Amino acid sequence: MPIHDQSYRHYRGNRARPGAAWAVIAWAGIRALLARRLVLALLVFAWVPFLVRAVQIYLSVNFGEIALLAPTAETFREFLEQQRLFVFFVTIYVGAGLIANDRRANALALYLSKPLGRTEYVAGKLAILFAFLLFVTWLPAMSLLGVQMVFSGSAEFVARNLFLIPAITLLAGLQVLLASLTMLALSSLSTSSRYVGILYAGVVLFSDAMFQALRAASGGSMAAWVSVTANLDQVGDVIFRLPGRYDTPWLLSAVVTLGLLGLSIVVLERRVRAVEVVT
Amino acid sequence: MPSFWAGAARVFDVSLGEMLWSRRTVFMALVTGGPVLVAFVVRVAFALDLPAFRVNDLVVSGPTIFGLMVWVFFLRFTVPVLGVFYGTALMADEVEDRTITYLFTRPIRRGAVLMGKYLAYLACTGFVVLPSVMLIYFLVVPSRGGSLAAGFPSLLIDLALLALGLAVYGAVFAFVGAWFRRPLLMGLVFIFGWEPAVVAVPGYLKQFSIAHYLQGLVPHAIPQDGVVSLLAAVFREVPSTASSLFWLAVIWAVAVLLAVRAVERREYVLDQ
Amino acid sequence: MTAPLVAEHLSKWYGQVIGLNDVSVTVPPGVTGLLGPNGAGKSTLLKLMTGQLKPSQGRVLVLGEPIWGNPALYLRLGFCPEQDAFYDRMTGLEWLTALVGMHGLERDAAEASARRALGAVDLLEVADKKIGAYSKGMRQRVKLAQALAHDPDLLILDEPLAGMDPIARRRTIRWIRDWGRQGKSVIVSSHILHEIEAMTSNICLMHNGRILAEGDVHHIRDLIDEHPHKVRVRAEQPRALARELLAEADVLSLTFESGGIVVETAEPDAFYGRLTALAASGTHGAIDEIDSPDDNLQAVFAYLVK
Repeated sequence: MPIHDQSYRHYRGNRARPGAAWAVIAWAGIRALLARRLVLALLVFAWVPFLVRAVQIYLSVNFGEIALLAPTAETFREFLEQQRLFVFFVTIYVGAGLIANDRRANALALYLSKPLGRTEYVAGKLAILFAFLLFVTWLPAMSLLGVQMVFSGSAEFVARNLFLIPAITLLAGLQVLLASLTMLALSSLSTSSRYVGILYAGVVLFSDAMFQALRAASGGSMAAWVSVTANLDQVGDVIFRLPGRYDTPWLLSAVVTLGLLGLSIVVLERRVRAVEVVT
Repeated sequence: MPSFWAGAARVFDVSLGEMLWSRRTVFMALVTGGPVLVAFVVRVAFALDLPAFRVNDLVVSGPTIFGLMVWVFFLRFTVPVLGVFYGTALMADEVEDRTITYLFTRPIRRGAVLMGKYLAYLACTGFVVLPSVMLIYFLVVPSRGGSLAAGFPSLLIDLALLALGLAVYGAVFAFVGAWFRRPLLMGLVFIFGWEPAVVAVPGYLKQFSIAHYLQGLVPHAIPQDGVVSLLAAVFREVPSTASSLFWLAVIWAVAVLLAVRAVERREYVLDQ
Repeated sequence: MTAPLVAEHLSKWYGQVIGLNDVSVTVPPGVTGLLGPNGAGKSTLLKLMTGQLKPSQGRVLVLGEPIWGNPALYLRLGFCPEQDAFYDRMTGLEWLTALVGMHGLERDAAEASARRALGAVDLLEVADKKIGAYSKGMRQRVKLAQALAHDPDLLILDEPLAGMDPIARRRTIRWIRDWGRQGKSVIVSSHILHEIEAMTSNICLMHNGRILAEGDVHHIRDLIDEHPHKVRVRAEQPRALARELLAEADVLSLTFESGGIVVETAEPDAFYGRLTALAASGTHGAIDEIDSPDDNLQAVFAYLVK
């Protein structure tokens, strides 16, 4: 009679290659968030401006006399600017708890005790926010370009403004990267997602309030570099080949934006650790 | 058993210290220290008579800058943000930290717990915001022909207005925090989505905002420049002082009553 | 004498999850143990008893009155919650004084009561230390102190021994027994039978949101003695401790774990007695933690459910 081994059997199946674990975190996070009705409502609502713009394009194509409605390269720039409101709310709702909740539940130690590096953990979390934010910025902007082609029945507009494809991609990417990295860095600083949410809103809006006050007092917009959103506006104008709207040199705005990204990475590097060393 | 107000006073005692020495103090220092920093920069620029601080070659007076800063920084930013931040957290902090049990198993009404924490919020934010405004006043107003003595009554009105703003926004968001499961997003949508939108749109919708009534009490002329030019247009529909005070009192009372009622009826299930 | 606690057809559900299912029980005066494995519904029942939750169905009477929305009743009720949550920046004395102050006492009287309560749980020496700097055992004790500082008639204690070292456990068990003797009614929850047994003979056995049995522990004891009892001991010198324990016949088996041992014994009473004496003597190094896995209790539940 054969005697079968009754002891524990180790997993002998395939394993994902090292460095791919971030995708597991990203998928799990995206699925969990999509199960929330409020997230879905926010995402659907974020596409309302797309519908309005699509109607605008339809009218301009079918009723040539309404020249005012005809889309230009600036239309797409304005569209991305409008989406900033949704970027703000999605970032807060989706992003605030991404690391803070793990810190609250002491789950960081658990994550990092797996074959998973800190970079992969951050990349996984970043991918969650990235996915949602691209869904409300890059995707509708590119779809709008597609809508223009479909409604007009020709690729003439797109061919004439071919730079729009990289411009939309670059600006949406920058907008999303800045929001995601800043939010993740703030999320790593606290165990309370509410606190993180308000901190993010505070940083974005307070820097803008500072700029507005300095602008009103000085009568010029040299101080635009103190505002997170004004810097993005200034760089965005350059990306879309438009004249900058503020007196601050666009290069300074770009440097400040990159500085903020760098600062966020430094914060993440210091805060995302399995154990906190108290000195 | 202690009365409602005696209970609230005891909760106030416990909560004030907790609020003052919490991590939020860092945030508060940021939102109230920033304007002071700007005021300092403006004062230095005025002293050096820098050309950047002239509008169309005209000098902007100290009192005008002060009025602008009170409006841009405090009424439109700091007061609503602190209202959302603290108001929505009055109960949520205790629930998240799982310390609410100690307060809810005492012989005081749950509403008194909320009231005590609300009063602590008022004291805490008042202690930080009002001195910051006074500091800005002393830094900015004496420049370019402004007089500290002449502007003093308007400073007092500003301080009272800010205290009123903190009270009303705090009460509304205390209710939001007590009633809704995700109050922060709702609060942010209200102050940065709803209020700016309805205040800018002509018609009666603006009556469903707090900012509209606070505008009616602003003692300064709102500057006619940049972002605030929109508000200048709004000012044409500004309510009277009496009407503003009346409606702010109504909003405050209704919000406080609803918040107390919500806390008394709601079950708080703590995370294990 | 009025029963300190009566539950009639009490049910509580959270959405579609049932926390408590049609529980009817009368808790007599004295010390009563509420016993059940994790997830049995003990905490839900205690939260309903302390008015933190509102019954979905049925009613609960505490000292003859409904508790939900009745804050006056907290003058006579003290509650020690399970969670390890505090205002860490306050000292033990400040915290207790503030909480007792909510019972309507003037500041001086509140501080005197707070000091008395801290003394009752041996914390007077660290009364002026911040709670954040307390050890786990001290935090458990300061929680007990806040529950009894206002001298309540009924004490409800949710897992009060969790995280305590053996000596603190023994002391706390003694206090609870004493409070019962002083005429207070005490309801204590735990998932460890022998702990409850050391405090009282009157128990309520819970499982899956229902009361399985109530009454004298000796009956339950007979059932559990049919099953070997597992005890996990975390100690400084596990091997030395193992040598000592194996010398006695009541130890059926022993396995080593990282930093400790798991012992299977046929006579838990005798075993716990020896273990506590060993901990007190310190001859085999410090004994840091004693824990009894649920397995045995679970076996009794399985037996009772049949």
